[in-house]
Amino acid sequence: MTVKVEVKEGGMPHNQILATGLIGSLVGIYITYLNNILGTDLLAFFGGIAATLALYWGSHTIKRLASYGIGTGVPSAGMIAFGSGVIGFLFATRFAIGGGILVPIIAVIAAAVIGAVAGVMANTILKMHIPVMVSALIEMSIVGALTLMGLSALVTGSFTFDALVTSRISFFGMELTTYESSLIGGSIIAVLFLLGGIAIQHPFNACLGPSWEQDRMLMLALECGFLSMIPAAVISFAFISMAAATISFVVAIVGWFYTYYRYIELARRDAAFWLDAKPIKEPEAGH
Amino acid sequence: MVDQIVFGIGITALAGALATVAGAAEDTESDIGSQGDPNSQVQLAPQMGYIHRIFNKAIAGEPPAYGLWVALGAGVAWALMAMQVNAVLAIILGSALAVFVQGIYATTAYLGRIASLAKFGQPVYIDIIKSMTTVTMAHAFVAVFTTVTVCYLINVALGHPFPLPLLGLVWGIALGAAGSATGNPFYGKERQYQSQKFGAGVPIAASGNIVRYAEAGERNSLDNGWFSSKLGGPASGVCFGLIVFFELWRTVIFEEIANGWGAVIVGILVILIFAVIDRYIEIWARKTYGPYGKPEEAA
Repeated sequence: MTVKVEVKEGGMPHNQILATGLIGSLVGIYITYLNNILGTDLLAFFGGIAATLALYWGSHTIKRLASYGIGTGVPSAGMIAFGSGVIGFLFATRFAIGGGILVPIIAVIAAAVIGAVAGVMANTILKMHIPVMVSALIEMSIVGALTLMGLSALVTGSFTFDALVTSRISFFGMELTTYESSLIGGSIIAVLFLLGGIAIQHPFNACLGPSWEQDRMLMLALECGFLSMIPAAVISFAFISMAAATISFVVAIVGWFYTYYRYIELARRDAAFWLDAKPIKEPEAGH
Repeated sequence: MVDQIVFGIGITALAGALATVAGAAEDTESDIGSQGDPNSQVQLAPQMGYIHRIFNKAIAGEPPAYGLWVALGAGVAWALMAMQVNAVLAIILGSALAVFVQGIYATTAYLGRIASLAKFGQPVYIDIIKSMTTVTMAHAFVAVFTTVTVCYLINVALGHPFPLPLLGLVWGIALGAAGSATGNPFYGKERQYQSQKFGAGVPIAASGNIVRYAEAGERNSLDNGWFSSKLGGPASGVCFGLIVFFELWRTVIFEEIANGWGAVIVGILVILIFAVIDRYIEIWARKTYGPYGKPEEAA
């Protein structure tokens, strides 16, 4: 279990990807916070960008963890990332100090603690003894929290507890507050959970193999992030203004189209052959 | 009271029928995409020298993948209904968007896996993506649409307290689990390994030696879909249909008894009866068809 089976030279170092994901995601989430100050919701789409950058980082963390020989556990890694991340995220939303300005920072710290506990348990109690287990689970838990926070900000325009459990509907000209049709009351958070949980594990799960290439996997991670943004943007039409939701939707479509196109180009670069309706190409030795 | 129970039984029957269609479509979809457990063998085949033309779609295990498609369909439908869109239209649009996401995941999974097998000379067959992705998307649409409709019936007609997206998550995972557990054996062990004896498993020496040539020409995953839609799909359909039917039936009829404990006890009884039936069928099948009735002879 502790033998590293996949070694690849070159590529971007993991710490650089970590820094890009963590800082980029936090900046994106904080830009959505400007919504509260400016009294608008047009910046909601930055939540989706934040989630995409977090997934970009998380996919490489999964690659790092899975290279220790837990190939079949790749989809479960996505689930544990979001399972621990959702706790850190919801815990942090309760800190309404200064209108919730500290929420993203507290979410990162809380998720790191939960990830560390899970990692230590996996290594000591389950005796998995994987060197990067603790650091990888800390990272994935933070990725889960940041992705959920970003997608929640995309859907509702904010990431504070009040914004997640209440929504305002207009009824015969009166503004009413309801809980049933909020992000958490309507369980839209369950959709966001799985959108992120599948998106974080897909890039490595789809690209694993002896001819794995880092740039191709990372491009797929960005594609998965923008793809997750598309349905989240559609759902956001029920929560935020038409203009804000339309901006999110257009950004998601443009970003997805570009990254999908680039990913196909990279797959074409790496494939042994690129054939259309050709017979099975038996290897020279034959069987 | 009686009217309510008769109404509940009607909804239960309708939900069971929809679930049967969902299970059949789900299993056929995942078999065409090679998403179930035989995928590891499809993935392994080129490394063992068996180049193939079978769709290699690894998104996740079927339960989490279908958890996402159905929750997504239900979530988008929920949001559209919150915007006063007609329920039928909302469910159709939600399912269509979920299937769009599923189709994109399918193509990126195929391209990624095959490109990473370049070392073994496995080509990317573009015609496989073109012809098979659309077929899996069509089957996925049937599965997602019917399951979201079941969730809508449970929520609105039977008054279940969970919101639609959460029901979508729960029943999507149940759908994926039913298809994975019931349907895949037909495809995985019987279709993909026709050179192996029934019940023999896959010995190490035969790893990756999947069946790559069909009765006429080269096999692709549409042939697998044709095969598994005959037995594996309907079996998964009956499985998921029975799960939904018994789940709702015991609640509608027996919930009034003993403060809800009636429904729990009937549920346990149903599980026990099915466990006995399953065990009987397993022993009968092994005795009738299995190669290892007397394992000591093999040694």
